Amino acid sequence: MDLYARRRFRNRIVLGLSICATGIGLGWLVLILGTLVYQGLSGLSLAVFTEMTPPPGSDGGLLNPIVGSLMLTVLAIAIGTPIGIMAGTYMAEYGKYAKLTMVVRFINDILLSAPSIVVGLFIYEILVAPMGHFSGWAGAVALAVIVIPVVVRTTEDMLSLVPTELREAATALGMPRFHVIGHVSYRAARAGIITGVLLAVARISGETAPLLFTALNNQFFSADLNGPISSLPVVIFQFALSPYADWQKLAWIGALIITFAVLALSITARALTASRKSS
Amino acid sequence: MNSMAGMGNTTQPPVPTVIDRPAQASAKLTEKVLVRNLSFYYGSNKALKAVNVPLYDRKVTAFIGPSGCGKSTLLRILNRIYDLYPNQRAEGEVLLDGKNILNPGQDLNLLRARIGMVFQKPTPFPMSIHENIAFGVRLFENLPRAEIEERVQSALRRAAIWDEVKDKLHANGLSLSGGQQQRLCIARTIAVKPEVILLDEPCSALDPISTAKIEELIDELKDDYTIAIVTHNMQQAARVSDYTAFMYLGELVEFDNTSKMFTTPADRRTQDYITGRFG
Repeated sequence: MDLYARRRFRNRIVLGLSICATGIGLGWLVLILGTLVYQGLSGLSLAVFTEMTPPPGSDGGLLNPIVGSLMLTVLAIAIGTPIGIMAGTYMAEYGKYAKLTMVVRFINDILLSAPSIVVGLFIYEILVAPMGHFSGWAGAVALAVIVIPVVVRTTEDMLSLVPTELREAATALGMPRFHVIGHVSYRAARAGIITGVLLAVARISGETAPLLFTALNNQFFSADLNGPISSLPVVIFQFALSPYADWQKLAWIGALIITFAVLALSITARALTASRKSS
Repeated sequence: MNSMAGMGNTTQPPVPTVIDRPAQASAKLTEKVLVRNLSFYYGSNKALKAVNVPLYDRKVTAFIGPSGCGKSTLLRILNRIYDLYPNQRAEGEVLLDGKNILNPGQDLNLLRARIGMVFQKPTPFPMSIHENIAFGVRLFENLPRAEIEERVQSALRRAAIWDEVKDKLHANGLSLSGGQQQRLCIARTIAVKPEVILLDEPCSALDPISTAKIEELIDELKDDYTIAIVTHNMQQAARVSDYTAFMYLGELVEFDNTSKMFTTPADRRTQDYITGRFG
């Protein structure tokens, strides 16, 4: 018909396609969550959190991998976050116009998309092989290597979003550079930087490949970072591939725990940023 | 000067008195800031061409001219905020109380404490109203708590915003309206007790009522401070300033006391700009 009707028609088609695409995307997510809940929830009990991983055929829980995962994640974040934030700060603040920044950004982007199994092999070569044994430390360092590029990237991006005027205003007041960064830029970018760290937590809490060659696994409870240490993703990997029904069940439960832990973390992050904005 | 005013405005008795003010004061006019033969480069682009202009002590000097003529650039040299960026460089002299602030040895933070600046866009820091002001004070002075409170209060009073914020000093500075934010920024600037205040189009983002408040404020502040204001609004320049400088294409075309500039400018280009023939 006329031009206007044609445009309206086209608009409807595009809108319809967009809704379909959104539906498909969300549909998979719901299916994944649904399967996890269906398979995992029935086996969830207190014993999961209090007992060790069992040999096939007997009862047990996931206490050692849960504790191991927590330790590895906390340690990896503790190693990776300061390095990531400082590098991101250099890139967005001090070295904004430096050639080095462009080089670092390029390498960081590569690191960001590096296959995590390569990270695992790398840490195996530089830590596990010289030390002569698998260890929690090696696992944490491998995870930290994955944390760093995520944090670097989000820190740089978030600091770059801080308006130049704000920095100039702080400088015009006679603030030294590190004050401007510490009290003005960081404050303005805080929510974004925290989100970046939580994103990194979410990313590493499901990583299996870098742990296979580093922290390995441990059937018994161990909090000794000098020896092999158990972790949820590796246990899921091992148990899910096993032919034993009870191990497979535990793998589902583990997957459910990881997923909901990450989900809870994301929701917390959202809530934190939202409340900060309104205050 | 008087004879000129008499000729041009015989039918308007109040005008000669306005013109008298700077004339009488001229006996004790001192040059707080003296710009001598100042050129400025953005990379290879010469933005200022051998500019000479004084800022008289406790007077308001307005800088007018079409966009891109170098007014803001000039202001940004006076507190050396341009130092934040690479490839920007100034040649010539800017004397503050007779000392060249372009000297490489100049302490920039101390300079910026003496020469405050308010920007076009209101830039409250992402912290409480109280902290916005106290923060700057604490940078330079180690004062007991009570004195800080007093400084905060007096700065807010001076900036004519006290009544609007006294009940919510701990609310975020960003929660204020645009006009209030701008007055907060002025309060923040005067709390550090500068000698010179640079205003870079402070009202361009504000509504007429907020603009009127800020103009009133400028009128009060000039008892204590030397003020330079960049404005696109000719009426504003005429209302608030004692002296006016007209800039065009990086050159300072004309500088004189405001009433003379707006009644009998010496240069053709000034006349054309003021009467709205271009710009």
